[in-house]
Amino acid sequence: MSSMPAATRRLLLAAGPIIVALAVLPYVVDPYDTVLLSYGLIFAIAALGFNLLLGYTGLLSFGHSAYFGVGAYAVAFTLKYLKVSSMELFVLAGVLASAVVAALFGLICVRYTRIYFSILTLALSQVLWSLAFKFFWVTGGTDGLRVPTPTLLGVSIGAGQDKMTFLAHRYYYYVLVIFLAAVGVMWVIVHSPFGKALQAIRDNETRAEFVGVQVWHYRWIAFLISGVFAGLAGALWVPLNGLTTPDILLWTFSGEIVFFTVLGGFGTFAGPIVGAVVFNYLKTFAVGYTVYWQMFLGVVLVLLVLGLPTGIVGTAIRLWGKRRKTA
Amino acid sequence: MAAEVSRRDFLSRLGVTVGAAATAASVPLVGAPALIERAHAQPKGNIPDTPYKVGHMTFFTGAAAVLGEPSYKGHILAAEEINAQGGLLGKRKIETIKADEAAGTDANVKEMRRMKLSEKIDLFTGVISSGNTPALGPEAESLKLLTIFVDGCTDFLFDKAVLNPHYIFRITNMQSADGVTAAVATAMTWPKVRRIAHIHPDYSYGRNAFAHFNIVMKKMVPGAQVVSEGWPKLGTTDFTSHITKAIAAKPDLLVASVWGGDYVAMYKQALRYDMFKKMKFTSMIAFGVAPHAIGKDHPEGVIAGVHSNYYFNYPPQDRWPLNSAFVKKYLDRWKEYPNFQSEGAYTTLMLLKQTVEKANKLTGGWPDDEAIISQLEGASISGPAGYLHIRPDNHQGYKDAMTGFSVNSPDYPFQILDPNRIITIPIRNITAPPGWPAPSGEDTRTYTWIDKTWPTVKL
Repeated sequence: MSSMPAATRRLLLAAGPIIVALAVLPYVVDPYDTVLLSYGLIFAIAALGFNLLLGYTGLLSFGHSAYFGVGAYAVAFTLKYLKVSSMELFVLAGVLASAVVAALFGLICVRYTRIYFSILTLALSQVLWSLAFKFFWVTGGTDGLRVPTPTLLGVSIGAGQDKMTFLAHRYYYYVLVIFLAAVGVMWVIVHSPFGKALQAIRDNETRAEFVGVQVWHYRWIAFLISGVFAGLAGALWVPLNGLTTPDILLWTFSGEIVFFTVLGGFGTFAGPIVGAVVFNYLKTFAVGYTVYWQMFLGVVLVLLVLGLPTGIVGTAIRLWGKRRKTA
Repeated sequence: MAAEVSRRDFLSRLGVTVGAAATAASVPLVGAPALIERAHAQPKGNIPDTPYKVGHMTFFTGAAAVLGEPSYKGHILAAEEINAQGGLLGKRKIETIKADEAAGTDANVKEMRRMKLSEKIDLFTGVISSGNTPALGPEAESLKLLTIFVDGCTDFLFDKAVLNPHYIFRITNMQSADGVTAAVATAMTWPKVRRIAHIHPDYSYGRNAFAHFNIVMKKMVPGAQVVSEGWPKLGTTDFTSHITKAIAAKPDLLVASVWGGDYVAMYKQALRYDMFKKMKFTSMIAFGVAPHAIGKDHPEGVIAGVHSNYYFNYPPQDRWPLNSAFVKKYLDRWKEYPNFQSEGAYTTLMLLKQTVEKANKLTGGWPDDEAIISQLEGASISGPAGYLHIRPDNHQGYKDAMTGFSVNSPDYPFQILDPNRIITIPIRNITAPPGWPAPSGEDTRTYTWIDKTWPTVKL
């Protein structure tokens, strides 16, 4: 154990109890809350990917709905044209499709930084949205494409078995395992020499270039990884939602991914995860309790930016640090 | 069938009627209230007095609210009426939880789950947009949630998404009926139109309206051709480009299924281009909005559809007391006139009440969902709009289709449907019958049924 880096040891120490709590959750709370948390975990995967660009590379993508949506539509098309309903194939299709699109869009976008980068990502995602929206006979237009319950590891949902039970147990664990794997992979990435190079690029592009980092190339790889994470999340999201609609390709959803990350705090590794889960609860609560839900979310965002500029996790870490110093 | 008939024969076979409504105005029906208030029988067995929780989802925000919010008002009117009598079976008060459909399809699916699993609702109802029922229908089935959709009337729900519904029902006429009604009305009113322009919202409702209008025109007005198509997004407020494109095509007729606040914006913009002077105009759903949303500046004499369902002055109020009572109650409660969604939502709860009472007679106590479902299948009710039949095989509501012509009347501060020129068509004659096979492609049952069985008019 002594050879383990201190950061990794801290992670395992902090994550252990959380993982145990997540694992026993379906036996403690309502199926409804478990399903709601599944949404949160899936959004968290997308937010983790997004934050590799924002938090670690210093690029604000305003078009991550594109990769999430491509992952989701890849699932729907796999079902529609190949007639398979295996979740493993769905995930594979989602990852591959989003990788292709992210690689392509990345080539165009990473040549620019700051506002130019954001606008380009936004514009490209809007192109995909309008394709999904306009090709009614292929994509179902705004009606979307329905995806019934898939098989997990070759096992289908039993005849007469309740879909909510399926979603709240088997599918939840499926999502949880992939989520933990994604968190692990991202942790390794950001703590690898590659991850350090990205942070160097974020902090000073010129200096990074002078010490031999191929800035353009590294950014492109980060963009690709980031897109794949979003695509993976999109693929996992579809069975939970039951269908895909162009809404998830629209810029407002990109905005939500930004919101997740800002809410949690983009300066920390865990920030996007916490932000995604909390935002999902916030939005569900707001839509359920008031017809003024947009206003509610808007006010929350404004208060957040003014009051907690480092997000929930950033603020928590700061308060914790203060307490430790005074103690 | 390759048979050819004359247009007059065709229309008489369809049973199309043009009604004069206002003739009996001076002869009030004696004893009308007695017809409506049936004797209140004592329910059998023990009925719990816990509230009966109903989730109602409709558009409360955005341009669609002018068509959708009346649904909530119709629902509340019925709920208050039932609660004033003690509730369902005299015991269970209806408690409504509302949700905004404008949150988007994905959020609506989540909200339906929340209502069922967290709020523990007994019944889900409402829903306006056809984009939402194909998502919510399967979800309701998997939640085992008793659901009566007020609208969201795409044929795809029961032709594709849920082929064998168990928990879900729907009240308003199917979308295909809407396109067919508009086309039949057009063919009988303006049989000489040949060049036709279209503007439809770009989702399943608009696509269905377009497809069914065209298949009927192919049969009834051979030689008619589509010269322009515009597909604005639902929620569009600027129609300028679509209007100018339609005008440029020099059509004889423009057909539009744009609805709600979108339609109000469209007709006001079209006025600026004198569009209605340059062509005839048929709409599937122009007067589907809350009636007061249509100003007196709206063009007169156009076919102004009501989603083939209901307009408050038809059936003629003095001849159909259920309608006069409903309009009066609605006007008293909300200070406005009802639209077809108000009527649909009102009838939904009245149908529930009637069904629960029937099921109680059979089972005693509070009937479970299975008992209610078995009584809903094949149910029939006399509503403000007329007779409504719920077909047992597909759980779809059927009532005679109607449309009409716009006219200004000194009696109302808004434009109305001309009560002397209401067009009605027996629903049986314009929708696919039970047992008609579901098509494998993208067409609806009604589409293939018309294509295969309707004769063509001889020119």
